[in-house]
Amino acid sequence: MASRFSGALQLTDLDDFITPSQECIKPVKVEKKSGLGAKIKIENDGSYMEVDEGGYEVKLQKAQISLTDCLACSGCVTSAESVLISEQSQEELYKVLSQNAAIEDASARKMIVVSLSHQSITSLAAKFSLSANEAAVRLSTFFKQIGSDRVYDISIARDISLIESCREFVKRHSNQATKGSLPMLASACPGWVCYAEKTHGSYILPHIASTKSPQQIMGSLVKDFVSSSFGLSADRIYHITVMPCFDKKLEASRTDFYDEICSTKDVDCVISTGEVEQMLLKENVALNDLDSTSLDSIFGNSDEGVLASHQGGGSGGYLEHVMRYAAKELHGIEVDELKYKVMRNQDFQEVMVEKDSKVVLKFAIAYGFRNIQNIVQKIKRGKLPYQYVEIMACPSGCLNGGGQIRPEDNETPKDLLSRLNEIYRNMPTRMPFHQNEVEDLYDNWLGGVDSEKANRLLHTKYHEVEKINTALNIKW
Amino acid sequence: MQQPSKVTFLDGHVETVWCVAWNPTGNLLASCSSDKTVRIWGKEGDGWVCKSVLEGAHKRTIRCVSWSPCGRFLASASFDGTVTIWDKEKGEFEATATLEGHENEVKSVAWASSGSLLATCSRDKSVWIWEVDEDKEDYECASVLSTHTQDVKCVVWHPNREEVASASYDNTIRMFCEETDDWTCCNTLESHDSTVWSIAFDKTGSRLASCSDDKTVKIWQEYLPGNQQGVAVSGKREWKCVCNLTGFHKRPIYNISWCAVTGLIATACGDDTICIFKESLGSDVHQPSFELLHSLPSAHLQDINGVNWNPKIPGLLASCSDDGSIGLWQVHNL
Repeated sequence: MASRFSGALQLTDLDDFITPSQECIKPVKVEKKSGLGAKIKIENDGSYMEVDEGGYEVKLQKAQISLTDCLACSGCVTSAESVLISEQSQEELYKVLSQNAAIEDASARKMIVVSLSHQSITSLAAKFSLSANEAAVRLSTFFKQIGSDRVYDISIARDISLIESCREFVKRHSNQATKGSLPMLASACPGWVCYAEKTHGSYILPHIASTKSPQQIMGSLVKDFVSSSFGLSADRIYHITVMPCFDKKLEASRTDFYDEICSTKDVDCVISTGEVEQMLLKENVALNDLDSTSLDSIFGNSDEGVLASHQGGGSGGYLEHVMRYAAKELHGIEVDELKYKVMRNQDFQEVMVEKDSKVVLKFAIAYGFRNIQNIVQKIKRGKLPYQYVEIMACPSGCLNGGGQIRPEDNETPKDLLSRLNEIYRNMPTRMPFHQNEVEDLYDNWLGGVDSEKANRLLHTKYHEVEKINTALNIKW
Repeated sequence: MQQPSKVTFLDGHVETVWCVAWNPTGNLLASCSSDKTVRIWGKEGDGWVCKSVLEGAHKRTIRCVSWSPCGRFLASASFDGTVTIWDKEKGEFEATATLEGHENEVKSVAWASSGSLLATCSRDKSVWIWEVDEDKEDYECASVLSTHTQDVKCVVWHPNREEVASASYDNTIRMFCEETDDWTCCNTLESHDSTVWSIAFDKTGSRLASCSDDKTVKIWQEYLPGNQQGVAVSGKREWKCVCNLTGFHKRPIYNISWCAVTGLIATACGDDTICIFKESLGSDVHQPSFELLHSLPSAHLQDINGVNWNPKIPGLLASCSDDGSIGLWQVHNL
């Protein structure tokens, strides 16, 4: 089976001659029982039985590797796929839903929350020939039918992620003397972040924005803001996100987003768009046949508005927002329209802001592994001409994420992508800095802009993964 | 028939020599080794001498060297995951650029005939295309191709098109060419039963020779749409295996060189033997026959890793081995 992770992750090592189970180099902790040694015998089915002195046989447990183990290891990423399938999948989701429904005392049930990404909504809209909003309100119906209590879109989390990125850039810009401040690199793509941590640690990580991705900010909103407004502890909410990308499953599993006190993750389960398509198939439901149910608002009421998105393309519009904000804050320039100049290829574009015919800001978007390479190597040599780069691991960005629905019939990937872009563009535009709800959250939930709580809940850290030299020493 | 004569043996490397490569004018030979050095050899008077030792750039085995078509640059690929570009503009070779990005061992590097592109391949299963900006001495990654499912052993460029061929541990050969916005795999050549160690185009580029761990050499012929032989072509062209040379080597065949001057094919093998094949007179390109012209058993004391025909002097062949030596051979009666 071909791996469904982004290309960047597939490249991150390890050996190609042995199978994943042997390939794994992570030491596994085994609970050792005290006592004398015992014989181990192998049954016909391959299971191991421990035989004690009395002749009693006990089946030995297999060593289990969790996804968190995989993330902390410099070995393979790709073989983590089998781990992912067991921890974050529609099967797991169905299991949780049915277990929850089986609890007799309704007040003891978990609250099931689904957060939908714009890219996934767009992909499903394209599949069922709907607008983004039509798809969103039908998905809301679908998820409520199978047992969800709340269905949100992640616009508000993206507002906050964009705002924090803008502010972080300006802060880094005025702090340029500190090594690693500029260029600033976007942090929303977990494939890119994971690749950087595993292969380019010390010199790249300081450049990656500390701002959390929309998925993880949504995680904080659900497990902190929403939970407390319902008077629930964080572990009483089961939070599912629907994402265009498998790498998001890795992101949700990072220890940085795990609350040890409540033993709960900010995002419990990530479902790819393609997996939602399979769920619809399983339930024998065509999205366009479903009724509409308004999306919920994290403030309790239902959200009657039309689903809106952000300027600057299907990957979230990071460059667009940071550039407009920086031009204004740093140079007093109101940018009317940003002009994207295609460089080496469509996935590598440059944008400039001039003042008195001098270039004052020069940013780039770099999607796909080949373009990431050139950015990384130029940073290494101190030769990157940009102050900010919107980096995404997938070619063509997030609308083309590895978890999206594949083209059908005779549609080419290119044609499907242009349909996705059109559906996405047709959503009304949402300005993150002009949202009353967002201001409200900063004032009342976070205790102000740049407060301790804001920094704790909206920012994260990256960790260099040290390379382990494998025992294999290839000689040819 | 007169056996090829041994011209000389060049000693200097202290460990396995992996690859030998003549420069485009045929007066310099580059070699690389597990001893982490590249050596440049040339003729002085009647003898061959080591003219320079390039060292300090790589931390592990240097697996492959390739000259730029202008002869000014030499690229060296190493198991340390990097490729170094050496420039002899100022007389002495100087390391002027490093190509980084491969996750682990780089197995092969090749310079396109235009001089503006490089290809590299690695145990990380990928083939990379690099664009050369000669003025700025800058090398940028133009594509990362992850089509192979295993270790990629060898990359070579087509002699006159911007198309690269790669050979892999996954038993296939793949061809890559540039489409609208990126490079893509345009052909997959399947026939070998084991690792394809090396490939070489003939001088026209319409034929390709491959050698493998399965102890065979195969000849592939290019077919264009609407060909008279009725070979089905799905894209721009199709490659078909038209000849299979078996029974000549007893061990895996590691390297192959197809001479642009004489049309001879030389193979380097783990059985310490070099074989030289010649296409039979009146051979049909669609069903060609090749005969063994010479076999040089015990040409070296150990596995032979590389062979390379001199591009100017007819019949002059360089070889290199695990025994640390480099051999020069002259084939007569061409």
